[in-house]
Amino acid sequence: MFANIASKTTNKVQPKHVIELVNVSKSFTLAAGAFQALKQVNLRIEAGQLVAVTGKSGSGKSTLLNLITGIDKPSEGSITINGIRIDKLPESALASWRGRNIGVVFQFFQLLPTLTILENVMLPMDFCDTYPKKERNERALQLLHQVGIGDQADKFPSALSGGQQQRAAIARALANDPPVIVADEPTGNLDSQTASSIFQLFASLAQAGKTVIVVTHEKEFSAWFEHTIALADGEIVNAPAVTA
Amino acid sequence: MKIRYLKVLRDVTSDYTMNFMLVLAIAIGVFGIGCILGGYAVVKREMTTNYLGTRPASATIELEQAISQELVDRVKTMPGIREAARRATLVARMKVGDKWYPLLLFVMDDFSNLRISTFHWVSGATEPPAGTILVERTALDMMEAAEGANITVKTRHGAPRTMRISGIVHDPGLAPAWQEQAGYGYITLETLRWLGETQGFDQLKMQVSTNSNSAPHITRQAGMVSAWLEKRGYTIHEIQVPPPNKHPHQGQMNAVMSIFIVFSFLILLLGSLLVATSMATLMVKQVRQIGVMKAIGANSRQIARLYLFMLLLLCVTALVIGIPLSRLAASVLYNRIAVMLNLELTDSAIPFWVMLVQAGAGILVPLLAVSVPVIRGSRRSVRQALDNYGVSQTKPIRSAWLVSLSRGQWLGDTVRLSLRNVFRQPARLTLTLGLLAAGGALFMTALNVSEAWNNNLRRIYTQRLYDLEIRLNEPIQPNVLIPKLKIIAGINVVESGNSASASVRKAGPYDITHTYPDKGHGSFTMQALSIDTKLLKANLTEGRWLSKPEAAEVVLNQLARSKDLELGDTITLSVDGKATAWTIVGFTEDVGSPATAYVSAEAYARYVGSAGQANLLRIGFTDRSRTYVAGKTREVETILEQQSISVRASVPVWLLRNAIAGHMGILINSLLAMAILMALVGTLGLLSTMSMSILERTREIGVMRAIGATPTTIRNLIVWEGLVIGALSIALAVVFSLALSVWLGRFIGNMSFRTPLGLTVSPLAMGVWIGIIGIGTYLATVFPARRANKITTREALAYE
Repeated sequence: MFANIASKTTNKVQPKHVIELVNVSKSFTLAAGAFQALKQVNLRIEAGQLVAVTGKSGSGKSTLLNLITGIDKPSEGSITINGIRIDKLPESALASWRGRNIGVVFQFFQLLPTLTILENVMLPMDFCDTYPKKERNERALQLLHQVGIGDQADKFPSALSGGQQQRAAIARALANDPPVIVADEPTGNLDSQTASSIFQLFASLAQAGKTVIVVTHEKEFSAWFEHTIALADGEIVNAPAVTA
Repeated sequence: MKIRYLKVLRDVTSDYTMNFMLVLAIAIGVFGIGCILGGYAVVKREMTTNYLGTRPASATIELEQAISQELVDRVKTMPGIREAARRATLVARMKVGDKWYPLLLFVMDDFSNLRISTFHWVSGATEPPAGTILVERTALDMMEAAEGANITVKTRHGAPRTMRISGIVHDPGLAPAWQEQAGYGYITLETLRWLGETQGFDQLKMQVSTNSNSAPHITRQAGMVSAWLEKRGYTIHEIQVPPPNKHPHQGQMNAVMSIFIVFSFLILLLGSLLVATSMATLMVKQVRQIGVMKAIGANSRQIARLYLFMLLLLCVTALVIGIPLSRLAASVLYNRIAVMLNLELTDSAIPFWVMLVQAGAGILVPLLAVSVPVIRGSRRSVRQALDNYGVSQTKPIRSAWLVSLSRGQWLGDTVRLSLRNVFRQPARLTLTLGLLAAGGALFMTALNVSEAWNNNLRRIYTQRLYDLEIRLNEPIQPNVLIPKLKIIAGINVVESGNSASASVRKAGPYDITHTYPDKGHGSFTMQALSIDTKLLKANLTEGRWLSKPEAAEVVLNQLARSKDLELGDTITLSVDGKATAWTIVGFTEDVGSPATAYVSAEAYARYVGSAGQANLLRIGFTDRSRTYVAGKTREVETILEQQSISVRASVPVWLLRNAIAGHMGILINSLLAMAILMALVGTLGLLSTMSMSILERTREIGVMRAIGATPTTIRNLIVWEGLVIGALSIALAVVFSLALSVWLGRFIGNMSFRTPLGLTVSPLAMGVWIGIIGIGTYLATVFPARRANKITTREALAYE
């Protein structure tokens, strides 16, 4: 399904390892004391892979995703994505970088309620000024068609089902044609049939050359993934240094 | 339009009620500023145009003898003198119905060639034929007459004469007649003779050719002319130099308007604080949206710009509402002030800069107020924003007193929880309390000062234990007259004394006063009274009352006291050109008197003259009501007429009170209008902050319901929380209002009476504010509580 999008938008020559984490640790100071969410994590993910991140609650999955998306900064170690040390980027540059390089999909979709589906998809292009204004509408509509909800473009999120909203959120994540898509439990709020169709979308994206990282608890969909990163107590437990 | 701004537009239109309240809050401030500044700009411009249009004299030299036109012509040729004219002014009386009122008569030399201290012709004759009078337009109502009607006029030496009103004029240099409770007329010297007076032109009015705004320069020039006149055998009584080119009420107007401008900006500031509170709440409500926008590529600046754009939309809407309404209100205001100041508006265009100030203030003040919450909210990291689950307690309650208080079993569970909720967000609480307390303080201050003003007006009666003051043209023998007056039933006390126009003799050969041509504004009087007078209750602020009948002692009121005078100092006062030295033994605060020096009747007789004679009568009646006094005044005047005693002025105390109330009525009414605006903004603040505070806790309310709280418990919890905040704000408002009332009372009191208004706490103001807060809190909490109870627990838990 996404092959044609990828062919249009991923002509850039990308390094082999899109994502590289070296000795990454992350600590938080809580009222109860210091808490280490990630401990000396080393990780390499290559372009075009569909990777699952699994683990129990509190294992460090969300922290790992936050570090990869630049939402959080590591306490130690380095994170390089597409050749850029994002842990060294200032906050203002990080926002623009994230908008252009990472597509984020949330568990609860997080579409802006006062914008239509089409406008939600156009919003990242607006913030990052990535496409000419005249092209944004057409591109957003095309993305919506490709995730299967083109006919819902002018509706507000509240008028859509959970599955449709998540498809819209994926279209939004693709708006700036980022090389990496990160999804935090994207199917946690959906029924299994809808969840299956969402994973199918992610697989299409990976086939089209996108690097897709998905946090998930749902073992029945493990077949979709080329690699799985299992986390426990802030450490990767299925390999000491994973080359996913 | 960029998609992000489309989101802002939709956000604004998605919550009409809340945003309407915010727009209204800003619009009220913009309205207040525009109304006051617009009114002020027009009045200030027109006051100057009107007053300067009369070509006011720089100085008036009062002489003992009449002066000839030839002498005036020679003065005109003197260096530094632009123009000169001879005039006479006298106080006569006019009969309206069966009452006599003072009538100020201006005698003019050549009505066809008035070049100084002139007036604007309105209708009828431009030059009054002999035996007729031109009347200032505001005096017609006082006279209950119109052009062509006849009025009865009596001068000091003449018999009552019936005069026809041959024309109407407008003299913007004079306060309206209804305000002074007197009439104004313009006559020829021939008519003055016809009225029975032999007085000639004994005033020389002059205009300087250079430095016309410099009082010292004018005084020097007038001194030079006076010296020249003295060499030619003329006796100089005094030189009057009113504040140059300044309308008699200009200073008061500037002061009053400055107060209102401050109040208007405070209203706008309150409205802006309300907007800041709302914006902060909105950003908390939309925190996840902010997180999402940042996650998809927005930076902090872009986020901040979105909310500032939202503010701009609200401000522009407020300006669109506030500016046109303010211009309408300004026109009402300047028209009313014009009536009060006897101005004719030649150009009522509100200057363009007023709109610029409104637009600037209406955008900048809210912008500054919201900048802190917007910057803080937009800088929130993506993780903080996405991890937000509504209102949370980030810091434990550390106040031991609060913990102890909220542990008190006697309070009940709901109240204890409400108490803790109140203090959960200290920053929000501070802003809400600040908003409500400021609104309440300003509201109560306006009413307190209004009440203090009325109390001060009442002091006119408590200081004066007489009800009627009669000033006579000729001295009389009081021991002969008083027994005749006492025959009248209802007279309680009659006292006699002397009253004379005086001036403070300073270095230099002449008495310099700052009296305006109406003889009222800026005048100075010496009053000689019995030291044990029963009809004057002097309000001594320093020293003592007169105690030694023969001693040259003087008590000065606050208007007569200059800054350099202290107890024990000697002051030289000049009456009819005769200077005498007096020792200051006390200072008083009078309400409604001009600058006055009180001396004993005996000392006056000894040092000034007129032993055993009096030109002032004061009468106290058994009933102080206006109707009774008016009736008795007629009886007294009848006896005086029978005795052929010439009355210069008959001033009942109620007339004096009305004159003073008339001067400042618009100020007090405007203060009350401000109070209403404050109450409106304060109520809006209460409604919006309380409802927002509840809205953002929808999820928490869902949790409480999920664990068993009933709708009644939820409602009580919210209402109690609101009532606690309301009660705290009232306490703060009362404290602030006391301080503010003292300051404003001092300002207005000093401006109008040269004495501060006493601190007055208006129970009505406090009661109304408590009512507003009580009802407002109830309404602001009970409806959101009902709404929170209506949504299902599942929806509440899912609320973001």
